[in-house]
Amino acid sequence: MNQLSPHGEVLMEQYRESIPRFTQLCGQVYDQLSQVMREQGIELNAIEHRVKTEESLAGKLERKGDKYRTLADITDLVGLRIITFYTDDVDKVAAIVNTLYVVDWDNSVDKRKLHQLTSFGYNSLHYICRQKEGPLSDIPFELQIRTALQHAWSAIEHDIGYKGAVKLPPQYRRQFSRLAGMLELADDEFSRLRTTMTDYRRQVQTLVKSGQLDEVPLSTDSFRSYLELHPFERLNQRIAAVNQAEVFPASLMSFLPILEHFHLETLGDVQRFVDDNADDAYRLALSQLAITDLDILSENVGLQNLCLAYVLKQGGSRDEIIFVYDQLNGRHASNASLADAILQQAASLPFANKVTQQ
Amino acid sequence: MKTTFQKEDNNLVMYFEGRLDTAAAPKTDQEMKVLYDCDGHDIVLDCTKLDYISSSGLRLFLSLLKVAKPKRSHVYITGLSDDLRQVFAMTGFTNLFEFK
Repeated sequence: MNQLSPHGEVLMEQYRESIPRFTQLCGQVYDQLSQVMREQGIELNAIEHRVKTEESLAGKLERKGDKYRTLADITDLVGLRIITFYTDDVDKVAAIVNTLYVVDWDNSVDKRKLHQLTSFGYNSLHYICRQKEGPLSDIPFELQIRTALQHAWSAIEHDIGYKGAVKLPPQYRRQFSRLAGMLELADDEFSRLRTTMTDYRRQVQTLVKSGQLDEVPLSTDSFRSYLELHPFERLNQRIAAVNQAEVFPASLMSFLPILEHFHLETLGDVQRFVDDNADDAYRLALSQLAITDLDILSENVGLQNLCLAYVLKQGGSRDEIIFVYDQLNGRHASNASLADAILQQAASLPFANKVTQQ
Repeated sequence: MKTTFQKEDNNLVMYFEGRLDTAAAPKTDQEMKVLYDCDGHDIVLDCTKLDYISSSGLRLFLSLLKVAKPKRSHVYITGLSDDLRQVFAMTGFTNLFEFK
């Protein structure tokens, strides 16, 4: 139970009366930040928000109650924490915060810059802010901005309690320093990796757009860029025309392992695979769909039939067809009966006359 | 066409019986609305006694999938006969659903 001075009791009473306003402000800032970050395309690990609890405030007032003349002097009654994935984004988020709110620079601190060469610890950016206008603009709130690794460091540091009364022996302080350094390095490396990957994606996109597909190795990123060219749209439209079907959007990324299994190494190989097999894929789809009135198809349908037609043309075995279905649908006993049905269909198709059922 | 809804082991389960064709779709659509309140619970569409599914039926399943995904609910289809599974395969929809 905390023993408060008379002044502390007054502040505590003011706090209790103000809780509804604090809660309103906290929710309002949280919503604003969530919306703006989404609009700016900044992926965040989390935004945490809270109103200081009575218990926590009582502890603070007991420890240093005389320091606070009014309740407004306690700047962390409303607190929010923005946790980014990348260290570059901390500064970006800070710049956005600066435009959204009035920042009290005298009380804000960039703890990242406070480190002495010999110190250990790994801290974040703390801003004390106010709304620019409105009925809640008199209440200060604290905004912490940090990366996910800084957040992890802070949580572990708190759990271990190294900032407690007992001074740690030098060997443990050194261990902390090494870990802090490692995390800082990891944060920087993740940022660098993101920049490198962004550059690589841009290069791939440029090559894809300029049609230099043979220069681009087949990978998750390059295949994604390739899909932006809608390389299967023409085939899908041809197949859809059989029953005047609607084409339902779907991700085609699950086909990548199948294309790799076919030893397609570049996007040029994939393009040739499409060009060489599109007519046969259409015939295969036609043989299945023409006898139905199914007028809704997935965007997968073209590429799926391309893969099946390719396997059939290679004299593909039942196992190879099952492999295609396993990759697309997950392993399931019924994939074998789907393979049998395809082999049966294919028996009447000229391009697949080399098929041998195992 | 008959549907039966049950909650089983924290999952929302709907049993389908008969022919899910264009004529049956509007009524089945209404009956499936109960699955839209999935809020993270998995959905199981038990098709063991489903004899036929048309494009209208596929659309109902796809509509459910569109609602369930943002709510982090999985949609499992179970008990499909080989014939019906082939309908899903030839339309390219097998990898949109999870089959049990």
